[in-house]
Amino acid sequence: MSSSDYRAVNRIKDILDFTTGIILLVVSLVLALYLVPNHIGEPPIMQNPMMSPRWLPNIVSWLMLAFSVLLILQGLLVADKNESDERKFIKGSLRRFVIMVIAFLVYVLFFETLGAILTGILATVLLFLAHPVRTWWVYGFAVAFPVGVTLLFVNVMNVPLPLMPY
Amino acid sequence: MENLNEVLQLFLSIDNFIAIALGVVIGVTVGSIPGLTATMAVALALPFTFSMQPVAAILLLVGIYKGGMYGGSITAILIRTPGSPASACTLLDGYPMAQQGHAKKALKTALFSSVIADFISNIALIFFAAYLAKIALNFGAPEFFWLICFSLTIIISLASGSMVKGLLAALMGILLSLVGLDSVFGSQRLTFGNYNLMDSISFIPLLIGLFAIPEIIEFYRKKVVPHIKAKASGAGMTLAELKRCMKSIVRGSLIGVIIGAIPGTGATAAAFISYSDARRRSPNRDNFGKGEVEGVAAAEAGNNGVAGATLIPLLSLGIPGDVITAIILGAFMVHGLTPGPIMFQENLSLIYALFLGIMLSSLILLVVGNAAIKYFSLIADIPKSILFPIVLMFCIYGAYAVNNATFDIWLMLAFGVVGYLFNRTGIPAAPFLIGFILGPMFEDNLRRSLLIGNGDLSIFVRGPITWFFIAITFGSIAFALYRFFQARKQASNARQLNNG
Repeated sequence: MSSSDYRAVNRIKDILDFTTGIILLVVSLVLALYLVPNHIGEPPIMQNPMMSPRWLPNIVSWLMLAFSVLLILQGLLVADKNESDERKFIKGSLRRFVIMVIAFLVYVLFFETLGAILTGILATVLLFLAHPVRTWWVYGFAVAFPVGVTLLFVNVMNVPLPLMPY
Repeated sequence: MENLNEVLQLFLSIDNFIAIALGVVIGVTVGSIPGLTATMAVALALPFTFSMQPVAAILLLVGIYKGGMYGGSITAILIRTPGSPASACTLLDGYPMAQQGHAKKALKTALFSSVIADFISNIALIFFAAYLAKIALNFGAPEFFWLICFSLTIIISLASGSMVKGLLAALMGILLSLVGLDSVFGSQRLTFGNYNLMDSISFIPLLIGLFAIPEIIEFYRKKVVPHIKAKASGAGMTLAELKRCMKSIVRGSLIGVIIGAIPGTGATAAAFISYSDARRRSPNRDNFGKGEVEGVAAAEAGNNGVAGATLIPLLSLGIPGDVITAIILGAFMVHGLTPGPIMFQENLSLIYALFLGIMLSSLILLVVGNAAIKYFSLIADIPKSILFPIVLMFCIYGAYAVNNATFDIWLMLAFGVVGYLFNRTGIPAAPFLIGFILGPMFEDNLRRSLLIGNGDLSIFVRGPITWFFIAITFGSIAFALYRFFQARKQASNARQLNNG
């Protein structure tokens, strides 16, 4: 990075607000110029344009665009130290995070094929290993809770869940 | 008399009593565990209420709400970690008291003032909700349109942190609420041909995703922090101390009631206003911030005075006062009920059965709260490494149970990522949720007004009620701008002082 680039970055008081503003600006532009005109159907005849299914999404998209610009300006001009302290944290190991993502995927990919109990056990064991939980008997919870909660949902609360592998 | 019989029939069911007690226990338990919030607990409990009777279902959620409000103060006092933002004020005096060996006294003070404030708030709810609903019966679509505009402005303007981010969050919420089939023309809006989206985005996966999943992601993303153990030791609160605090408790409760009745203001503001009011009036004002029992009482009275009062706009006008009442509104909808003035005409017995249950919840809070003080160390010592995998399981089961579709699990996880990004970028989730709920109401009342007025825009200024709402809407915007520029001025003055 050249020294002029560094100077440009230093001029931005809050880089996170600035970046968020840019991303939201792009999103609102896509919404206003592409998604709303192409993915919201409109009846051919309408007495009042304010009755159109596109009217409110259009207004909201343009307002989002305007406020994204304001957020960019806020990022350029205002440094909010208190807020940035809250937003920052010390990152943990990547391994824990990756195992958490795998546990999420286990739920979404196998919930219906393996059933609620087996996916529950599998994902909970994975998350215990991610931390890792070192007390062996705690792993009993990874079996007891999915079984107990599934049966509670299905038999007591009458909320259907896939029980067993299909 | 016939109504009374019906009310008692609805209320005197064992299910209702179990629901209230269970709700308060869950609320206090969750509230007393740092990292878990009452909002998360209410969102997770919502799928469990699908098969319950409406009264028991709502009472379960209200019980969690009230229990959570008190539970948040336990960690604030013992380990200087407020369980909810509203309990932040309690730690100002509660934690120093715990440090001085008076943890039990602080916890008892918090409990008694919470219960008294909750009771006063419930009385206000019973008196004002019916009265307000009676007035609201005169409202038509244009009046409701302006009422929703007012609710949107006040919620956004009081969003913590940046006003711009609050507005952006609310706009995103409104936009997402419009996904699905258009209610008037039936045309598809941003569904991309996906039949799962035709009936709009499901409320429960959005809710769970937004408020529970980000905590889980953050836990696995963050560096592991050591688990802090806490103990509630020392003597309890004496009657003389309770008497001394009584004025502050009553004043704080009334402050909570007034603030809670205004949509969007929230318990945090009430707690701090009540605290500063008590500090100003107390003969022991110099001891505030150093472990003053009156400080704990005032903060807790302010924050719990809000709980019943936030239900006033919800029940009488159908407008959620805060995030938790927005979830409770969702529960009403799940059970085919629409809160508002019409409900007071069509389901009066149900409303009075709810009122009885809400009154009972104050009493149960006293019993459960006492037990929580005793057995707190057991509850708070559950490590998050065990807790969060189980919470995630509840999230997944709850999201799936809505439509029996894996799509909702995807949706929930996607909103979880959105919620996590919101946390990281400082965008508040509350205006997003309120925007999501009020968006369709806004559009619906706008269109109905246009249809009633045959497209003539003068219908929006048709009488004194609309003028009143227009005035308070613009007043609210002006107040928000004033607060914004005042805060900027104060920050710049502080910077100049630091530099000079």
